[in-house]
Amino acid sequence: MRWLAPGRAAAALLFAGAAVVPLLSRDSFFLDSVILILLWGSLSAAWNVAGGYAGQVSLGHAAFFGIGAYAAALASARYEQSPWLGLAVGVLLSIVAGALIGYLSNRLKGPYFALSTIAFAEVLKIVASRWRGFTAGSEGIPVPYRPGFWTLGLDHVAWLYLALTLALVCYGLQVYLEKSRVGYRLAGVREDEDAAEALGIATRRLKVAAVMLSAALTAVGGSLWAQYVGFVDPAHVFSIDLSIRFALNSIIGGMGTALGPFLGSVLITMLETYLRATFSGMKAGFSGIYLIIYGTVLILVVRFAPEGVTGLADRVWRRRGAARAEAA
Amino acid sequence: MLTLEGVSKHFGGLTAVREVSLQVRAGDLLGIIGPNGAGKTTLFNVIAGYYRPEAGRVVLEGRNVTGLPPHAISRLGLTRTFQIVKPFGNLSVLENVMIGALSPLPSTRQARAEAERVIAVCGLGLHAHARARALPLALRKRLEVARALATHPRLLLLDEVMAGLNPTELVGMVDLVRRLHADGLTIIVIEHIMAAMMRLAQRIVVLHHGEKIAEGTPQEIASDRRVVDAYLGEDFSLAEA
Repeated sequence: MRWLAPGRAAAALLFAGAAVVPLLSRDSFFLDSVILILLWGSLSAAWNVAGGYAGQVSLGHAAFFGIGAYAAALASARYEQSPWLGLAVGVLLSIVAGALIGYLSNRLKGPYFALSTIAFAEVLKIVASRWRGFTAGSEGIPVPYRPGFWTLGLDHVAWLYLALTLALVCYGLQVYLEKSRVGYRLAGVREDEDAAEALGIATRRLKVAAVMLSAALTAVGGSLWAQYVGFVDPAHVFSIDLSIRFALNSIIGGMGTALGPFLGSVLITMLETYLRATFSGMKAGFSGIYLIIYGTVLILVVRFAPEGVTGLADRVWRRRGAARAEAA
Repeated sequence: MLTLEGVSKHFGGLTAVREVSLQVRAGDLLGIIGPNGAGKTTLFNVIAGYYRPEAGRVVLEGRNVTGLPPHAISRLGLTRTFQIVKPFGNLSVLENVMIGALSPLPSTRQARAEAERVIAVCGLGLHAHARARALPLALRKRLEVARALATHPRLLLLDEVMAGLNPTELVGMVDLVRRLHADGLTIIVIEHIMAAMMRLAQRIVVLHHGEKIAEGTPQEIASDRRVVDAYLGEDFSLAEA
């Protein structure tokens, strides 16, 4: 709410930039990077609906991602149906799962809520690994490539615009959550539940609803990701690494802001790609060094810009505004 | 308007409120006093739905609201403030009050206009865009009142909105409560500060160890032997002086 006009302009620039990329370059590595930035940004925005706007900080969103990924992959690989159908099923299942975990963990706060979501994702990971007859277990499922929109066999340019559409939907939804009646009430719930109750807000119902919406969007992202990458296995799609990634993009970019998750995604995806490319060629002993640098950068950001990049920019902006006002 | 019938609330072996009955009529300005731990805030928590009483009933405008969640009771027209203020710290004063106003009002535009009006009534006009967390205590207490007021309550429960204020701020708050009452709002006030309460309330209920030990006009309370013995004692002679 504080990060308004400059944030909107930055977002417009970001999305417009993504939209013109295919006109400038058809390099598949470059297009792939942009697609992933948009997908991870959208998934992080989905996380932000629960974690940033409703204050329900989850570290188990891979659960919903995995449900979406498996639903789409199984639909096309096992049943030879459209992955869009799988996506719809995945969204419905995720809404049910979100309602379940939202309702069960309703009274838990902060780290306790986060822990319960981790447990939830771990349970799904075990189920997906052991239920070999249905999910093919830990071997995973290769997704067949069948060209066409209905089968989601697309080239890089089409994928880019699809990911951009998802990103715009997620961004728009967040803007709505900042401007609307329900958004204000959600902010009240996030800031102080007792006070929100006193003002007539049904806090439990609103929190569960936020988690359900967040879960649905995450499943959409998971389904599209599965079709884009072409392979699904439980160790990855239900991993805590993924859950952390969704949360981290938002935290680095700025929780509870519409631009934050996308900004975080740009920074982290680029940093990761750059570090991996730079250091992975070194001698075997050093091949993991990019993870150490990556970790160090994250620690520095959390130490010096705890409100994320948008928060930092906001502070600088205000200070300059104040200085100018003083000078005048 | 509000009736309590034999309300009791225990925490384990401790009885915080014991068989309290009282009546609030429309237009009342009722004060509840009592020493620390007398059960005043517990009683508010029972009335507003934060605690479910072990015995007794809470009846609001003829409707039994015992056991309803706080948000449902708030929607029925009873809104409380908190002794330990609970501002939405990262939001502005205006946004805080807007969230209150969004309960009766459907659109953010209407809520913003209403919030601006309430903020002015509560003397927070200069601070509308300040972050709630950055306000000094006196203004955060006012914000509690403003936010509650924005929900358009018919009955307002004020939990120690005067505690911790300096004499000037205290006069301002007494004045605000009086004006709200004069505008027709029914109010229950919990307070520690005797002098303020004596000047403010029409009727006073005295709680001691969770029990109602006296009820009457400020004059009756001040001259009630049991009250003076049990509670007022030194405090009150100071307030009189």
